[in-house]
Amino acid sequence: MATTTKPSRTQSLAKTAAYPLDWLEERSGLIGGVRYFLFRKVPGDTSWWHTLGSATLTAFLVQLITGVILAMYYKPDVNSAHSSVVHITNDVWGGWLVRGMHRWGASVFIILMFMHMGRVFLFGAYKYPRELNWIVGVLLLATALFEGLTGYLLPFDQTAYWATVVAININGTAPFVGPFLASILRGGAEIGPDTLSRFYSIHMLLVPGALIGLIGLHLYLIVRLGVTSPPWSKESADRPPDPEPPAPPRSGLVQPAPRAAGVRRRPSE
Amino acid sequence: MSSLDERRAGFQRYKDRVKTEGKPFYPYAMFHDTVMSLVVVSVIIGLSIVWKYTSILGALIGAPADPGTRNFVPRPDWYFYFLFYLLRIFKWPETVILATVGIPTLCLILLLILPFVDVRTERRLSRRPVAIVAAALTVVSMGVLTYKGATAQEAIASEVKAAIPSWAKKQGFENNQEALKGANLFAVSGCTNCHTYLGTGSSNLGAPDLSAEGSKNKGIQFQIDHLKCPSCVNPGSPMPPFAALGEDNLKALATFLEASKGPQ
Repeated sequence: MATTTKPSRTQSLAKTAAYPLDWLEERSGLIGGVRYFLFRKVPGDTSWWHTLGSATLTAFLVQLITGVILAMYYKPDVNSAHSSVVHITNDVWGGWLVRGMHRWGASVFIILMFMHMGRVFLFGAYKYPRELNWIVGVLLLATALFEGLTGYLLPFDQTAYWATVVAININGTAPFVGPFLASILRGGAEIGPDTLSRFYSIHMLLVPGALIGLIGLHLYLIVRLGVTSPPWSKESADRPPDPEPPAPPRSGLVQPAPRAAGVRRRPSE
Repeated sequence: MSSLDERRAGFQRYKDRVKTEGKPFYPYAMFHDTVMSLVVVSVIIGLSIVWKYTSILGALIGAPADPGTRNFVPRPDWYFYFLFYLLRIFKWPETVILATVGIPTLCLILLLILPFVDVRTERRLSRRPVAIVAAALTVVSMGVLTYKGATAQEAIASEVKAAIPSWAKKQGFENNQEALKGANLFAVSGCTNCHTYLGTGSSNLGAPDLSAEGSKNKGIQFQIDHLKCPSCVNPGSPMPPFAALGEDNLKALATFLEASKGPQ
């Protein structure tokens, strides 16, 4: 009796453990989606160059998390903004670290974005069929720069204030829409309390929302179209199909390309 | 075979190859991504530690914002230095719009249309000389502009202009339209590259501070003549003539200078 109940008990245990996942999969297909994302094939010669995009995403996630924490302590009001930032920096436990990570994470985010863009340009990865994803990337860059601009005012120290005065003046020089845009950003005719809360709202709601949406689209297109192989790769779209007879099946996924075998054969020593 | 058919066939070859010779994202590519992400987070934490415990990266926070001060030279965050320096190159009133709107918009449009301009399938760098030159020029010009922006000292027109309301209040010419017009000209015509005025601008070539120029009571006509030809009125003056501004503008500028009796 014991021999028959034991395996069925482990089976039922496994079934119970997997039940929530099965439940979720049956109702949403999410498990299949995650599995597809994780186990989709990428070109065999993806390299460290291909990590710049996910590194940018990591920097963005750091900004999201530290930004949420900062928003818990920050007061978007002309009279208390500066003192609340001083309070975060000096009094809140770990506040200096969170604020420092947000401050410098922004720079890292922008640098990585430019590097990622440079990589995509040099790899020619913006070419057919990935034109749309390049455009989404350019929009991400512009949006991220705007996020940096709006965030710069929030510490409300002298640098922040005067840089924003100049930035809004610059905005105002645009033909036709300029003065209109500048007055929207200021929240009136002068830089004042409304400007700060307006910048705060744009910085922590509007622009991050746009960034999240664009990043989602960016990732969707990457998964749909596949990771671009390096330009030196045989998988590169411009190369004609390999004229050589098909290589013997490779035993491992990380084994070097079978071209070495042909070179070794020639000397026949 | 049309060019689009070729590109489609190329993409099909890519997909077939990835299917047969590719490797799964997890764990191979994901390993690289994870290592890189850890590096990124470490660098960010490292930067904030350096910021906190040394002064290399600047002060943790500056003095509270004070709309009353006017001698503060604003600095944007470093990744806007290249735009910031463009403003110094195109500082003449007619060209400012090139730096603020023209060039940035042009760059954005170029980036957006890139995949539709470069429609060749060739991706190897050795066969894309134009792309290499374009990339090198972009990197060099961005680098130079960023460096120049970081080290630039002189105030720019849009910064000087921001100070006009407080000048008017301090000098008491708030209701003098002619003097306000002159102040605006003073801000955008490059006067502050050599002269200082209530703390704005820089003193070069021995140019005097003009905050209390009007207290000398030299008269509007003297100021106009001096602006038209400084060395005629004041032999040996290195100041260039501003006759090109035109009679009306010179009168406004002179009125502004005469209205500057020194802070009240």
